[in-house]
Amino acid sequence: MNDMQWAPVGSEPLPPPLPPARVDFTGNRSEFRKLVTKGALLELVTFGFYRFWLVTDIRRHLWAHTALDGDSAEYTGRARELLVGFLVALAILVPIYLAYFLVGIEFERWQAFASVPLFLAFYAFGQFAIFRARRYRLTRTIWRGVRFWMDGSGWAYSLRAMLWGLLVLLTLGLALPWRDAALERYKMQHTHYGNLTGDFEGDGWTFFKRAWWLWLLSPIALVVFPLAPFFFAEFKARQWRWWLDGIRIGDVSLSSRLPHDAFYGLYWKVVGWWTLLTIAFIAYIAGGAFLLVALSGVPAEEVFGGDNAAKSIPMVVIMVLGYFALALAINIVMRVYLQRDLWAKVLETIEVHNIAAAADVRGSAQLAGALGEGFADGLDVAGF
Amino acid sequence: MSDLLTEAPAQPVRPTIFFDGTSSRRREVTLTLGDALEILEDGAAPVRWAYADIRRADSPAGVLRLASTSAPSLARLEIRDAALAADLTTRCLRLDEHRTTRGGVAKIVGWSVAAAVSIVCVVLFGVPLAADRLAPLVPKPVERRIGDAAEVQMKALFGRKVCEDPAGKAAFTKLVNRLRDAAGLDDSMTAGVLPTSVPNAFALPGGKVFVLKGLLDKAETPDELAGILAHELGHLKHHDNMRGLIYNGGTSFLIGLLFGDVTGSSAVIFASRSLVEASYSREAETGADTFAIEIMHALGRSPKPAAELMFRITGKEGGSGLTNILASHPLTEDRLARMTKEDRPASGAPLLTDKEWQALKGICGSGKV
Repeated sequence: MNDMQWAPVGSEPLPPPLPPARVDFTGNRSEFRKLVTKGALLELVTFGFYRFWLVTDIRRHLWAHTALDGDSAEYTGRARELLVGFLVALAILVPIYLAYFLVGIEFERWQAFASVPLFLAFYAFGQFAIFRARRYRLTRTIWRGVRFWMDGSGWAYSLRAMLWGLLVLLTLGLALPWRDAALERYKMQHTHYGNLTGDFEGDGWTFFKRAWWLWLLSPIALVVFPLAPFFFAEFKARQWRWWLDGIRIGDVSLSSRLPHDAFYGLYWKVVGWWTLLTIAFIAYIAGGAFLLVALSGVPAEEVFGGDNAAKSIPMVVIMVLGYFALALAINIVMRVYLQRDLWAKVLETIEVHNIAAAADVRGSAQLAGALGEGFADGLDVAGF
Repeated sequence: MSDLLTEAPAQPVRPTIFFDGTSSRRREVTLTLGDALEILEDGAAPVRWAYADIRRADSPAGVLRLASTSAPSLARLEIRDAALAADLTTRCLRLDEHRTTRGGVAKIVGWSVAAAVSIVCVVLFGVPLAADRLAPLVPKPVERRIGDAAEVQMKALFGRKVCEDPAGKAAFTKLVNRLRDAAGLDDSMTAGVLPTSVPNAFALPGGKVFVLKGLLDKAETPDELAGILAHELGHLKHHDNMRGLIYNGGTSFLIGLLFGDVTGSSAVIFASRSLVEASYSREAETGADTFAIEIMHALGRSPKPAAELMFRITGKEGGSGLTNILASHPLTEDRLARMTKEDRPASGAPLLTDKEWQALKGICGSGKV
């Protein structure tokens, strides 16, 4: 189809190419901050069960305020689905954990510590979960009244991820660009928008050329610690841009102008907040201990220890409360900077070419279940 | 201009867009608000949505996006004109019926707290009960297989081979058999000495007891060693390994379930697990101590020397209140105090002769490990 455009058929003059369409993010930052603050508090009082609702609200916010060619997307997933998916995943994971334990015993009988490689099975399962979770999110993504969807097999993906992972390990990370390209190609070629099929045209070599020197310099970051956020931000920006440039859906293609230093600010803000919050936490603990000693008259050694455990209980309570407050604040910081701000920053650099190819797409799709998300949650490999 | 507007008030300045839910085609439509909402497109059949079926869908500010429960599920109507949106909103009475309300959030919180309370109760009462009841029911072969696996690991850590000096082995067997008979265990249990300088002893599932050479070196009389062995037999008698396995598996699963991934909460999971598991383990140790005291009394020997041996190895442990709560064993000084209270003058024959004791000390060959 693309070739046709450059070889006019008959005498019809070709219309001039349209300017690329933009992607706009119109979300209000303080609205998002309120959303995640409220969510984090509720997560605390519900012992974490609120995470299904919070993650759904975050996605709904981000999706609804992301407009492609003037029309915003919509996320139709619901928290209840995630909760059910999580419970079903648990029901499946429990026997697997048991089997893992029993097989592990047989291995150990044969040779000490022979069961250690069995954790690979969980890694494979994690990759499967990542693929299936992506499928869930895509089938809940609507744009112009038509949904995205995915086919392909989670296990086939998992096998690829394992083999590529092994290669990356053997080459000390040098094969990473080719791994990313191959896995992304698999994912995108099984991604559809209505009757359009996706593809990924990025190749490992391009990515390698853009980022190889970071690989060479990475040992420095291990020694000179403050450089690490720069390196990571640099790497992430290059990876994002390469990834976006490669995405195709039917004849629609994406390109990105994401500058290589785009994430420096973000990561440093996160590091700054971490430092600030940790200092506040330490100050709080010290202040609490001081107050306790001053008010109760219990000597300091007894507050922090001593033979009578009961005397250190107030200190334990102070520490637990402080820890929860710290976890809460860090949660909010991470979500605001690394989810919302990063999302906005990336989106504003995207150009969409030949959007007209998606002007009249027929919808077709089955809804995928939330089981994959449940697995991802149960195995702790979930993204957002 | 103003004349034109008054003539056609229903036509907003900003277009209303309709997606029919089967195609991504952007349709500019006009709306008629009659007894139902009518969506009109040039050259297409009008679409009617009953007001009661209309629901709000997520949208950015400035756009009212609607869906209908009786239309294809992805059909969307986007109204960008504020006046028209306000007019339509007043007509659709069930617009926000499907949204999570304040009551809905309260319900989530309520159910979560109920779930958390029930999980905590199960961890505190249900799992220990299940572990106590189930552990004796685990079939012997299963227990032995688990023990075999643990044995392979232990030997990898603490030296490949059990010490085999014949005279020492005979003395060791004599000591173990006397304790075993007093404990009422069957002869499926085995015991051995591993050549490592770590001073410790442990019991494995399936009736295996191992004494590490380091402990033997530190022991000064047969009674010291016998008390420790009796303690390990207590673990076997009480099925403490299987109980611990079931208990630890159950609690870590439930506590993981409880906290899920409140990101960065692995520390919380770890801390609360250590706390409850340590208390359970201290209970089991105290139980094994009680058993050891009974056995030593039955043999007419004092349990005190064993505690003195422990004290020689660990020194005084008590200190911080926090470490006390997290310790897996009772404090050695507390155990010493308890065994001292149970101290009685020897009424039975010595468990080993001096010659046998010397042979046992040399079970791993010439002193060096």
